[in-house]
Parts: sequence; C-alpha cells; structure tokens
Amino acid sequence: MNWLRGAMVGALAYVSMLSVGGAADVPMDSLYQLHATLATQKGASVGFDMYQGQPTVISMFYGSCPSYCPMLITAVQVYESHLDEASRARLRVLLVSFDAAHDTPTRLAELSRLHRADPERWTFASAKEPDARRIASLLGFHYRKLADGSFDHTQVITLVDSEGRVVTSTTKLIGDSAFEAKLRATTASDPQ
Amino acid sequence: MLARVALIGAATLCAGAATPEGNPFLPVAGAEFGSALPSGKQDKVAVRGFLLQRHPVTNAEFLAFVRTHPQWQRGSAPSIFADGDYLGHWSGPLDPGPGAAPMQPVTRVSWFAAEAYCEAQQARLPNWYEWELAAAASTKKRDARSEATWRQQILDWYAHPTGDSLAAVEQGAANFYGLYDIHGLVWEWVHDFDSLLPADADPERFCGSGAQNLQQKENYAVLMRIALLGSLRAADTGHAVGFRCARDAEEGKP
Repeated sequence: MNWLRGAMVGALAYVSMLSVGGAADVPMDSLYQLHATLATQKGASVGFDMYQGQPTVISMFYGSCPSYCPMLITAVQVYESHLDEASRARLRVLLVSFDAAHDTPTRLAELSRLHRADPERWTFASAKEPDARRIASLLGFHYRKLADGSFDHTQVITLVDSEGRVVTSTTKLIGDSAFEAKLRATTASDPQ
Repeated sequence: MLARVALIGAATLCAGAATPEGNPFLPVAGAEFGSALPSGKQDKVAVRGFLLQRHPVTNAEFLAFVRTHPQWQRGSAPSIFADGDYLGHWSGPLDPGPGAAPMQPVTRVSWFAAEAYCEAQQARLPNWYEWELAAAASTKKRDARSEATWRQQILDWYAHPTGDSLAAVEQGAANFYGLYDIHGLVWEWVHDFDSLLPADADPERFCGSGAQNLQQKENYAVLMRIALLGSLRAADTGHAVGFRCARDAEEGKP
C-alpha cells in the first residue's frame, strides 16, 4: 500500500514539474512535504515518502565510494541490531544515492545483496538532480562532485518518525548512545 | 494539471512588470575557467554554456508566482521549507506593500522557495560554477577578475551598508553578458549552495583553516559569497538574500 502510494506521488511529481512544496496530508515540518522521485533496487519508481507510516532511518551515499558507503550500511545495521525484534520489524531504512548516473537499480540490488539487507525493510535508491540536492538539503547532508568524478561529502544518519518529522540525527557511524536511545523510543510501539 | 497551466498563463498576462519578457534569460557562453573552489587535481573547471536571468527576481515577479502557487504564500509555506521570516517584510501574503517595491529584488526567500519559483518558470537555480563564471565579467571583459580596480569596486559594495531599503533592479550598468546586479545588490542562492566548502571545513571557522584550500585568495568578494552561502541552511531567509533563475542552453547554441 505504501509502495503504491509512493509510486503514485512519484508519478505526479514527475508530471507536474512542481515537485517542491505542498503536501496537504503531511505535517508542515515533515520531510515528506518534498515530492521527490527515487529509483529503487527493485527497479521501481517511488516517492521520497515511500516509508510514510513507519519510523525510518534515512541517509545518503554513492555506491562507488571505496570506504564510506560500506561503512554507512554496516553502521545502520549495527544501530538497528540493538533493537528488539519487534522494534526492528517496525523500522525502515532508506539509503539514497546522489550518484544516479552510476547507481542504477542493478548496482543498487548488488549492494543490497552484498550487505544482506532485508529487502522488506531496506531500500537502496537513487535520486537525480534536482531531487538529490533537495533531499540532501533537508537532511543537512553536503556533497560536491569533484573534477575526477568522485564526491566530497559529509556524513549524517537521520531518524524520522512515521510522519516524516526529524526525531534526531547523528554524524557518528558508531556508538552514539543518544541516537540509539531515540531509535529505541521511536520504534518502541506502533505509531498512533 | 491543465487548469493549473492555464492559471499561470492568465496571471502572467495580468502581471505587467512580472512578465517573463521583463526578465529574459540571456546566454552565457561556456568556458574553462579557474574557480575559487578547490576542484581536485585540475586547475580549471569546464562550464557549459547556459542562460541566466537578466536581473534578480523582483517582488512583482515573485508575487505573480505566489498568486498561482498558494502553497508558497507566507503563512502557507511548509516550515520545513521556509523559516518564520519568509517574506516577512511584505505587508500580507498577497501584498508586498510599501516595504517591498515591485522592482526591488525579492528577499527573505528560502532556497526551497527559490527552487520552486524557478521550477515554475521551467527553469532552475544556477549552480555555483555558472554563477561564478557570470560574475567574473566586468562591463567590458568576460573575465575581469585579475583587474584590481574591478575587484575594488565590488569590495566597496560589501563595505557599503545597505540600509533598510534595497535599490530597484537594473539601476547600474550591465556586465559583458548584459546581466545586471550580479554584484552590488543582493546575495543570490545557487542550487549547490550548501556544498561549496570542503566537507571537513567548518563554515563558522571559514577564515581559519576552511579558507586554506580555496583558490583565488585575492578575490575576496567571491570568497565572501562562498562563506555566506556556506553558513546558510536551505530553509533560511535573509533580508539581503535573493536569487535569479538559469536554464540549460539550447542544443547547438553556445
């Protein structure tokens, strides 16, 4: 259902060309106010709000990054490993590549397999410009393409509630106990 | 969707000074040039030819936009996209009033609002390299950055307090490309505003280590722009921060 909704929003955003601003059924301070289109490892086109309704960890990466990208994926896996099974089942993970030219659905699917990410709860996706930059701006994530084709970028892992409001974020790949506590609290029981 | 397009058309016809013809997109030829930003191993960056609006977007032009895009009116824009000061100097959501004259550049607009405005014109914000290329021109030369007198002229603006009221657009001289007010009126959002500094640089300590990697150190005016943009967040609005839109050049043209 969420997937279907995401796909519809994505299609609308694409057609209307008015993808910044104004989702009526979403809180004003929700990241899901942004209508952005993602291409996933399943080859689907979905909305940035594909996981609306579930607490979600969101971050950005690019697949050809030699060290950071595997570290990021492992870091999120370690953070969620501290949750009990029921809480973990409620959590979703959305990792968005800002290098859509290289991170095709095929490559994203490889990444997902390589890291044994649960495809029911984890989505590897890519966003094109200008959507990638808009998502990054919401997350406070910075990236810049260098002349050699690599990227200079920051690191941040963001936790949002089921409505897409930012609960907290961390720049630490491991051992941020405040982030772990918020993650536990946000996934502790079903939203609503 | 069709209805929305028709609405935009109607509003544009009625808006007078806000018509697209009043702020046309002018060509800036592509070039390889030395940017103030570190670009990895190469000295120069390649910028493709593009089109840039002749002057910063005005209050009249932005009013026409919020009329047809009510979700961007003050009080309606999502807080995630624009802070509490968004269009704060306007008298009302659809009334710029005496504090915001029609031909003054619109300010107190967030990056998201600027993105949405340009998107509605089938355009986009320029990226930094594009803006920097256009800003390197004096009235006579494409790249005047090595001229001390030209650099001083720009610095004089930075040293000059703006006061409460901004001038109207196009009061000064056009630059080499026919563009007005690139320097001297407002700061302008660019699409990649938040990623100009190296990832490990702290914008608040820009004058220390953060500036070490930057090129063209004598070009203070441009460095100040980078520092300012680097200190903003995408939902921030500033009383001297505006924008203008860009488009890709048509195929086969410079």
